[in-house]
Amino acid sequence: MAVSPLIVPPADALHPHPQKTAPSPLKRQTSAVPSSNGTPALVRPPGQDIQTGLSMSLDRVEQMNEQEKRKYIKDRKLGEGTYAIVYLGRSRQDSTQHVAIKKIKKQKEFRDGMAPDAVRELKYLQELHHPNIINLISAFSSKDQNLNLVLEFLPYGDLEALIRDVTHVRYGAADIKAWMGMLSRAIWFCHENRVLHRDIKPNNLLIAADGEVKLADFGLARSFAEPGHRMTANVITRWYRPPELLFGARHYSGAVDIWAVGLVFAELIIRAPFLPAENEVEQISLICKQIGTPTEENWPGVTKLKEYIVPSEVTPVWERSAYMGRFGAVGVDGVDLLVRTLALDPRKRITAHEILEHKWWRMDPKPTRKEDLPRGGGSEEKMGSDLKRRPGLDDESNPRGAKVARKLDFGAAK
Amino acid sequence: MASEDARYRQSSQFRLWSFSPAQLAAAREKANILAQSSIAARLASTPNTSAPTSNANTPDRDGTPSLPEFLTPAEEATMVSFYVSELLRAGDHAEVGEVVKATGAAFFRRFYITNSIMTYPPQEMLIVSLFFACKAEGIFPRIGDFVSKFGRDRPDEILAGEYLLCQGIRFAFDVKHPFRALKGASMELRRLGDIEEQRINAAERRAREILNFSPLITDAYFHYTPSQIMLAALSLADRGLAERLISHTFHYVAPPTDSGPGTPMAIGDAPTTRRELKIEDKEAIIGSQIRDKVLGTVEACRDMLAKELPERREHWSNKAVFKAQIQPIRKKLAKCRDPDRYNLVELQRARREQAGNRSDSEEDEPEDNGRSLEKDAAVFGDALPRDTKRRKVVKTEDPFGPPL
Ligand SMILES: Nc1ncnc2c1ncn2[C@@H]1O[C@H](COP(=O)(O)OP(=O)(O)OP(=O)(O)O)[C@@H](O)[C@H]1O
Repeated sequence: MAVSPLIVPPADALHPHPQKTAPSPLKRQTSAVPSSNGTPALVRPPGQDIQTGLSMSLDRVEQMNEQEKRKYIKDRKLGEGTYAIVYLGRSRQDSTQHVAIKKIKKQKEFRDGMAPDAVRELKYLQELHHPNIINLISAFSSKDQNLNLVLEFLPYGDLEALIRDVTHVRYGAADIKAWMGMLSRAIWFCHENRVLHRDIKPNNLLIAADGEVKLADFGLARSFAEPGHRMTANVITRWYRPPELLFGARHYSGAVDIWAVGLVFAELIIRAPFLPAENEVEQISLICKQIGTPTEENWPGVTKLKEYIVPSEVTPVWERSAYMGRFGAVGVDGVDLLVRTLALDPRKRITAHEILEHKWWRMDPKPTRKEDLPRGGGSEEKMGSDLKRRPGLDDESNPRGAKVARKLDFGAAK
Repeated sequence: MASEDARYRQSSQFRLWSFSPAQLAAAREKANILAQSSIAARLASTPNTSAPTSNANTPDRDGTPSLPEFLTPAEEATMVSFYVSELLRAGDHAEVGEVVKATGAAFFRRFYITNSIMTYPPQEMLIVSLFFACKAEGIFPRIGDFVSKFGRDRPDEILAGEYLLCQGIRFAFDVKHPFRALKGASMELRRLGDIEEQRINAAERRAREILNFSPLITDAYFHYTPSQIMLAALSLADRGLAERLISHTFHYVAPPTDSGPGTPMAIGDAPTTRRELKIEDKEAIIGSQIRDKVLGTVEACRDMLAKELPERREHWSNKAVFKAQIQPIRKKLAKCRDPDRYNLVELQRARREQAGNRSDSEEDEPEDNGRSLEKDAAVFGDALPRDTKRRKVVKTEDPFGPPL
């Protein structure tokens, strides 16, 4: 319980000091208005100096926003996703300091104000501060009420690009262990803060200048539900989607993210998606074939799930030894961890906390130091590949799911 | 426990929205003063006698309009409380959940720390707050359906305020509430094993009732953590149980010998590992010191909540009270409100127009492209929304050839 009386209000939340070094604007905003001494004199309304010639001045909040916005200069475009365009930005004060400015697109089909992705992403990134989670530096609105998120700049692409680039990028078990460690810590931190990410995949794991992997894209995240609360099953990109969601479960837990973590792990090892199905029915078949058929024996209650349907030919759940051929590069203990993340029954699936306690981390080889990890080609090359991966027509109700599948078609050896 | 405190310190609720009473009062006073000067300047600059301020602007003999009487910070505070009670009633009416109502109330109160009631219309902002609270809590209602619940048929009135609210709450959408802590507390009390189930249930029910009103209509969220608020509510419901819980939590209890090695050590929990708890005497002293501090804090919070117990709902919706206390302030407000900002739809339109007129290049688009289309877009902005948008699309699609 956070009842400790040691928690006192931060000294100066509304009247902070001027910026010293590393600006962290969300935490400390410089108040635009010189503090008045309480004399209600007829002063010029604040903001008129900025907005000369305009009939309406900016109020205090608008001024804060204006200041925030003016801290950055937008450079070129870095990439584009379904709901945002990402620009490279520079700090006006220190032009060597780069940021990524993610400008949320106006969504024509969403007429109900700020779009869900943006609400979720802002909500969770405001709260989650962790070395392996992308850092939200600031947020501001630009003209015509476009929402902009200022994020730390992650110049070395994402894990998906690394995995696919078999001609230029070589990596081994120690590197996989380092990346998996960072991913596991990120997801542990989310769950510890009662946040489900719901879109874990290599493409959402970005690489920082120092090699650190950062979990990004919280556009589908949500808080853990109260018991009994129904959630949508239509989350997580199909190839990484766990069986309970494919069977339409409306009550689920952090275990959904863990399955996706397991598939990222598998993909890092074999350098191709482990379960790349064309549609949901095929996704289930593939799970049954490669991991085992969910049945009442290995997953009590599974047959009661609304959309439970499996191929008639039942495949017994594969033993650890069956994985050694394809995934043996990470050793017996690595395979043990992999198999635990891929437990069919979400209640038996390993938790993020347990992952961090797994013995694989302490076995040889030691995880590569982050500075020594292989990294992607950098932002130029990255941009090229992103342009190719622009979304096209969507044929599914969840545009993210559909789009991603198409995206991966480019790189994946089918 | 320590880790939970540490986690709370990371939250936006703590970083951006926790204040001492003095800080809070100063912030509100500042909002009030700034609103006064800005509205006064506005009224002085345009001696037009149009619309809502017409009474107030009766020109003096020398032709300049006399200024209206402004609301005091105390009057503003009364209005904020009144409108929070209205917000909660609106939430009941729209049948949104308790968390949504509480989040909506928190947004509304936060918004009116840096903004004056004289600047932006509370009647609209309370619905905006509720609407956005739904979204912040992961429910995404259709705006049309939502406003129709309140007999409104202008969704744009509410949507126009959404952005304003988001800025006003500094894009921090996560509100930490005491509800879960209450569930935890009742479980903890049950685990003690010697308290009647009935008593626990009654206390939990009453505490919940309090949490659904008292902290929302007071400044409790600005001063206390969710657990402190929960304990204060529990203490109002059943003081004995709250004290029992506090002593239990902060008193050193030897771990049962059998629950040893199997229990996984909490990763973020370093300060409370068993090794540190070994010196019992020391622990007992620290425990009791902390306990006394906690008791003091909870007591202060309790006093705050006690001023607005759930029974006060009736007070705020009482007609006589309204006539005697609220109506006079509303009349005053009608004369001193900001003529430019009370109409959210108009305000949004004006802002967009301003944005469109603004031609300074470093604004919004990358600086490194001097293409004519881009410049056009910057010059005409969104005053010509459709046309410009299409041009922008053409521009960004450019590298891939024509959009086919
Ligand atoms: N912090 C960042 N630093 C550097 N580049 C980034 C950053 N964030 C995003 N990008 C680049 O911008 C592109 C678009 O990012 P965004 O998160 O909007 O979409 P996405 O994840 O690719 O797709 P979607 O939103 O559909 O899931 C990314 O592919 C990436 O190349």
